[in-house]
Amino acid sequence: MKLKQKITKIYKPIKFLVIFSLLFSVNNLSSAEGGPCKDYGDCDKFNYSLNDMGSLQSGASTFLNYCYGCHSLQYSRWGRIAKDLQIPEDIFFENLVFDKSIKAGDLMTGAMPEIESAQWFGVAPPDLTLVSRVRGDDWLYSYLRTYYEDSSKQYGVNNLVYPGTAMPNVLAALQGNQKLVCKNIPVIAKNGGEKRDSEGNAITKEKCGFLQVEEGTGTLTKEEFDKVIYDLTNFLVYVGEPSKATRERIGWYVIFYFLIFTALSALLYREYHKDYH
Amino acid sequence: MNGIAGKMFGWFNSRLPIVNTFERHLSKHPVPSKVNFWYLFGALASVVLIIQIISGIWLIMPYSNTEEQAFSSIEYIMRDVDYGWVIRYMHTTGASMFFAVVYLHMFRGLLYGSYQKPKELVWVFGCAIYLAMMAEGFLGYVLPYGQMSYWGAQVIISLFGAIPYIGESLELWVRGDYYISGITVSRFFALHVVALPLVLIALVFLHLVALHEVGAGNPEGVDIEEHLDEDGVPLDSVPFFPYKVLNALVGIGVFMTVFAIIMFFFPEGGGYFIEMANFEKANPLVTPEHIAPVWYYSPYYAMLRAVPDKLGGLIVMGSAVAILFVVPWLDNSKAASIRYKGVYSKVALALFGISFLTLGYLGTVGVTEVRKTMSIICTFIYFAFFILMPIYTKFEKTKKVPERL
Repeated sequence: MKLKQKITKIYKPIKFLVIFSLLFSVNNLSSAEGGPCKDYGDCDKFNYSLNDMGSLQSGASTFLNYCYGCHSLQYSRWGRIAKDLQIPEDIFFENLVFDKSIKAGDLMTGAMPEIESAQWFGVAPPDLTLVSRVRGDDWLYSYLRTYYEDSSKQYGVNNLVYPGTAMPNVLAALQGNQKLVCKNIPVIAKNGGEKRDSEGNAITKEKCGFLQVEEGTGTLTKEEFDKVIYDLTNFLVYVGEPSKATRERIGWYVIFYFLIFTALSALLYREYHKDYH
Repeated sequence: MNGIAGKMFGWFNSRLPIVNTFERHLSKHPVPSKVNFWYLFGALASVVLIIQIISGIWLIMPYSNTEEQAFSSIEYIMRDVDYGWVIRYMHTTGASMFFAVVYLHMFRGLLYGSYQKPKELVWVFGCAIYLAMMAEGFLGYVLPYGQMSYWGAQVIISLFGAIPYIGESLELWVRGDYYISGITVSRFFALHVVALPLVLIALVFLHLVALHEVGAGNPEGVDIEEHLDEDGVPLDSVPFFPYKVLNALVGIGVFMTVFAIIMFFFPEGGGYFIEMANFEKANPLVTPEHIAPVWYYSPYYAMLRAVPDKLGGLIVMGSAVAILFVVPWLDNSKAASIRYKGVYSKVALALFGISFLTLGYLGTVGVTEVRKTMSIICTFIYFAFFILMPIYTKFEKTKKVPERL
């Protein structure tokens, strides 16, 4: 077989695969329409790092201290978290498990009675085991950082990503009082530059809806707080699928195996193909 | 063959047609010597069928088919069962890949006229497999009992209610309850793991038996039986084993690589293979914002929504699948392959392909006026492709089909 023929022979299925995968990517793009983060616009991008034990441990600590009082992780087991996050069991139970009757194999069924909590909050705080898979990690990461003061609400706060959320801003002590403020921003001309008046001063117009934390009201800086939320989201991504890191690690070996398999069968096929060409 | 092993083999062979079957269907079964990659998808479909059966058996072991435990047993599989996630993702990825390869396999059929005389029955059995797969996929999707399982089932089962006179009783009979409940889940479980797999395997068997009776096709549409050597073997053929088996093996290798990439790195397929809403337990009181079927049903879902009347939608959707069965009797062309058919056939097939893909897209997104109009247009093109086929294949000018491959 001539080289050119060979190339066309290989090229044809590739062309087909490319078209096929393009089709899927077009679909994927369009699914983002409608703004899943509501008033916040596009969600902030979240890149998980499930091999960063420090981050996961800090996230677990935040979760158990601030969230677990109301939210269960009913499909997850205590001991599994200690094991996966490489926390020695005695230290884990000593510092992060507050109910001393709990055993490693128990499910994390939560501490709050569902019926009463529904009366307190209007809705029972949902179980969060799979929240990262239902909402997506970008959504979670954005949601937890977009609370703002709103005196018209029951708990004095509202959320840009989830307007009317029933959850109070539990982490307000860390973050500080976040408000929606208005700012004068430069008007952008059609050519992309800032618009200026005849004296060369920038033309500005007032735009509202910016999040700003009142200085000195929180115990953490913005960067520190973002890191806390990053770790917490990372932990929830882990809890949503505890085998995710293993899956992505094993995946490479499986792909490698099938590539070798393909190469060997291609060689064998070529050898037998000689019989009739 | 000598010795004990040989004697034992002889004993069995004189009581069971081992050698005969091997020769007839494998080592002496002639298949066209020149085919292209489009001819791999049948083999790939059988690979996925085996993956689905094996992973399915292992999923049954820890799965619980009750209303209270269906959802949590899936999470139990994903977390507490050793490598349970491998088995489950194999099955979910397999479901999508099954439809992917079957759609490509069916398109191959349209492309190269794999339904033309004498292969009508092969095609009809194939369509029956597709229909059984659609039912099997739907039943399986209800089993995790997530939000989309519940509301998807709600939409589909309520379609039965649109049938005049018997509709409502039929709906109740299928559901087994006044609303979707554990009763529905456990009967769907029985159908999904026993009844439909039996039907599927039987149909696949018939599909293959019919195929081996009439012989496989080729992209040229040449009848290889016309030119035989002195032993009666087609000149343009090679034995299925080992030549075509090795050919398929390369395809299987590539396919399994793609399969592994999806399974290990994108098991949710961006929400198209496993929908995000299905990670939430079924809740009869909360309707999801946007009920969409998994991607492989979405073309038909778009057709259903294109028709304002429920019964009308059901008829259109049913006819869209039913019309596939009669394709062998709609094509009047002298040529089988698109390579030798006329320009009308080429344009028709291209338009059909585009409209089917567009419908697939439209079925996954929300409805707007423009999209609805597009759905209607694409539905018309879909049906026009089949209904006008007797006309455009009869009057177009075909090229002369060569004698040999």
